[in-house]
Amino acid sequence: MKRAFLLEMTIFRDYARQLVGLGLLVSLCIGLGMQTPLAMPATLTCMFFMMSAMGLAAYDQLNHWELFRLTLPLSRRDVVLGRYAAIVTFGLTGMVVGIVAALVATLVVSAVGVPGEVGEAFAFDPSMLSVMAVVTCFTLLIGSVVASIVTPLYFRLGQTRATQILPTVIVLLFVVPVVILGNSGMLDGGIPGMELVSAALKALDTPAGMAVGCVVLVVLSAVALAISAAVSLKLYERREL
Amino acid sequence: MSGSLIEARGLTKHYDGFSLEGVDLTVNEGEVVGFIGQNGAGKSTTIKALLGLFPTDGGTSSVLGVPSDELSRASGAAVKEQVGVVFDAISLPEHLKVADVGRIYERTYATWDAHRFERLTAEFGLDAKKTVKELSRGMGMKLSLACALAHDARLLILDEATAGLDPMARDEVLDLLRDFVAEPGRAILMSSHITSDLERIADRIVCIDAGRIVFDLPKDVITDEMGVARCRVADLEKIADSGVVPDAELRYLRHDYGIDVLVPDRFAFAESFPEVPVDRMTIDDYMTLTLKGGVR
Repeated sequence: MKRAFLLEMTIFRDYARQLVGLGLLVSLCIGLGMQTPLAMPATLTCMFFMMSAMGLAAYDQLNHWELFRLTLPLSRRDVVLGRYAAIVTFGLTGMVVGIVAALVATLVVSAVGVPGEVGEAFAFDPSMLSVMAVVTCFTLLIGSVVASIVTPLYFRLGQTRATQILPTVIVLLFVVPVVILGNSGMLDGGIPGMELVSAALKALDTPAGMAVGCVVLVVLSAVALAISAAVSLKLYERREL
Repeated sequence: MSGSLIEARGLTKHYDGFSLEGVDLTVNEGEVVGFIGQNGAGKSTTIKALLGLFPTDGGTSSVLGVPSDELSRASGAAVKEQVGVVFDAISLPEHLKVADVGRIYERTYATWDAHRFERLTAEFGLDAKKTVKELSRGMGMKLSLACALAHDARLLILDEATAGLDPMARDEVLDLLRDFVAEPGRAILMSSHITSDLERIADRIVCIDAGRIVFDLPKDVITDEMGVARCRVADLEKIADSGVVPDAELRYLRHDYGIDVLVPDRFAFAESFPEVPVDRMTIDDYMTLTLKGGVR
């Protein structure tokens, strides 16, 4: 698996560099627009998970690379696990870059003394760090779930066909349930278990709650990726290249 | 280990509109086997089946003693360290630089010889800073060959690997392949439409048509023993009646200006029919007579 992972890292390296530059710019714009540095690591984490899952799959079908790759001393299992390891590595890289960028932005704004609302929003406040951790972990979960949904499709169908059906899958998974819930009146009457969610959100106001929340979000992300990897292994094993 | 480096028995695969039908193919140690056939005859499909890139519907095959269906599994992937593969077009992501390709192989093959790769790319005139996208088809094939030859492989599987190379580059590559196979324990399976290359390097020629192997012969039997008799229409009956060419082997191809007849032993034929000119058989001639020629 290590070989497949290193191979993915080499292939994606140049694109990842561009992504860091682009991501920093986008996250800075979003951070300034939303007037909070919290948006920076959140944006980059989510963006890196999603873009690495999609970007790595895009290279598979260039010049029949996907087919040729299996003539190298790699198994299909290596290829799948190497892909997930690369997605996680790039995703976490985005998270680290985002956190560092947000901290640098707040330190620069504090040092320079930018006036107005932006200056206030970006002023360094130690209590912001724990909120940043929770928000970043939440976007880690979003990014992981998206990567977990698209990657098995790419492994089963290839990038071209998977991209054609992805909008349908997204609608089925995220839009249809909301529409059904809305029409069923459950949203008006309260979804069962909403009290639990409210209690959990309230608990996030405490330092201990935030720590637990971060751990839960990270564990959920890992579980989503692990289930996705298991599905991908099954699907890719039978794929005719 | 001695014997067969590639062994296929009754390999079968069905697609809509095309099937591999019971392909038998053996590549022994020290051999260069030329694999020929028309476009769509099943050469690339056979090669992919041998490499275990898709499941087959019947038959068995192995590469370096490992069943093909194990090659993409953890149990068999390691044997691919000893196999160099080149497809008919460069099969690497196009944004990679030549130097990056070397890095990829270095990370993938335990036996990667970076110095040999650098030497080969320099010999082939490949600029390490150029991307795969910037390489012409011929230069791309040279890069693929440099990769296949730089990890101490025992077996090369080349699918149209000399396509797109200029004559001088082909000479250079054929010399490298000759040197490769001269080492003990090595072999090459080489599919090609450039049969002149195979005449210079192959020991055996295997032809596939419509998914079936139609002949598997030592190259010397084709090019040194066989011949093409350039006959007039009247000569065909005379040749058939003489029994010099067994009836079952009498294949012919009509042209506007006469008939070409496949002659299994051109020297014996020349003695029996001194008035009929007989040319040396080429692999192209033999394939054409076998696939398109009429049988009496």
